Amino acid sequence: MTTLLVADALFLEHLTPTGHPERPDRIRTVNRVLSQPDFAALARARPRGVDDAVLETAHDPAYVAAIRAAVPEDGIAQLDADTWLSPRSFDVAGHAVGAGLVAVDAVFGGEATNAFCAVRPPGHHAEADRAMGFCLFANAVIAARYAQAAEGAERVAIVDWDVHHGNGTQAIVWNDPTILYASTHQMPLYPGTGAAGETGVGNIVNAPLDPGDGGVEFMDAFERRILPAVDAFRPDLIVISAGFDAHWRDPLGGLNLNEEDFAWATRRLMEIADRHAGGRVVSLLEGGYDLRGLGDSVAAHVAALMSASPTA
Amino acid sequence: MADRPSVPVTEMTFEQALKELESIVQELEAGKVDLEKSIERYERGEALKSHCERLLKEAEGRVERIRLNAGGKPTGTEPLDGDDAPF
Repeated sequence: MTTLLVADALFLEHLTPTGHPERPDRIRTVNRVLSQPDFAALARARPRGVDDAVLETAHDPAYVAAIRAAVPEDGIAQLDADTWLSPRSFDVAGHAVGAGLVAVDAVFGGEATNAFCAVRPPGHHAEADRAMGFCLFANAVIAARYAQAAEGAERVAIVDWDVHHGNGTQAIVWNDPTILYASTHQMPLYPGTGAAGETGVGNIVNAPLDPGDGGVEFMDAFERRILPAVDAFRPDLIVISAGFDAHWRDPLGGLNLNEEDFAWATRRLMEIADRHAGGRVVSLLEGGYDLRGLGDSVAAHVAALMSASPTA
Repeated sequence: MADRPSVPVTEMTFEQALKELESIVQELEAGKVDLEKSIERYERGEALKSHCERLLKEAEGRVERIRLNAGGKPTGTEPLDGDDAPF
């Protein structure tokens, strides 16, 4: 089996103010970690740009136009308290979407079994008509809908273990029974959504964790809530919104996971993908703001993707 | 987001701490806090909660002593904080 890495130095070109946690150094760290000898076996590809029509599978056309218009000629422009645009941000965010499309094509085309996309800006807070929480475009939803439109996938599961709830992903797929959204996240925390009672049309599973929870509680939530729902959904593809800010070192989260917890969750999802989806898993980087915690977690996650899963 | 009060948490009265804690819980539940500041607000809330719990525990200790005195030796002359008296 082959694992594909979709990465590009272009993702350094989305700029945020000095001291902002969602910064280019995150991608420098991930790219450096994945250039180590342990990862020499990765297949590698670069992302592609996307048309507005692709973005509009998750966003209002007026929103796409507004983001393009808000891009500054120089300097940086602020969209909300957390979210910024620099001159290349529209193109960079489009390529973050396009990375997911390259990965989807590879896992359905047989060039790879699974893939990791080392992208920024992240996507899971972006709603159909609103940028927020460092996010511009809904990378995971667009990848899922592209798999349906271009590759014939019927059902796609999006699993999100970022420490923050993916309000954008949830809102966009709220009425879409062909996409399952399953999330673990800290509550209370930004953005305030993600209670267990938020279930969409039966296609949304929220398993909130308490501040201070660690691997035991995370694995319990996965075993009891997330994995059974994903398995029962019989997805043709699993998309992971892979945020690593639930790591104990992270400054923006209050959970206590370590890198091995992410590797465990990866392997469990690979088992389900083997049963229903020909092993197809596409993982997209979301949050993760402590560079060492991020690097260690990405290494463990990608190493798990590269390992032959127990049931293969 | 409201400006932070300048009073250190440990010097707040119970009412002050509870009031700010309630406002933080409301902010977090309403999703009104920035992503970058959310965890700071949560941690401030934790400090306020600990302070409130400490004050409550101290108050419970005093109430306990009154009840014991009333049931045991109903003198009514022993100072409430007699154990802590500096002599």
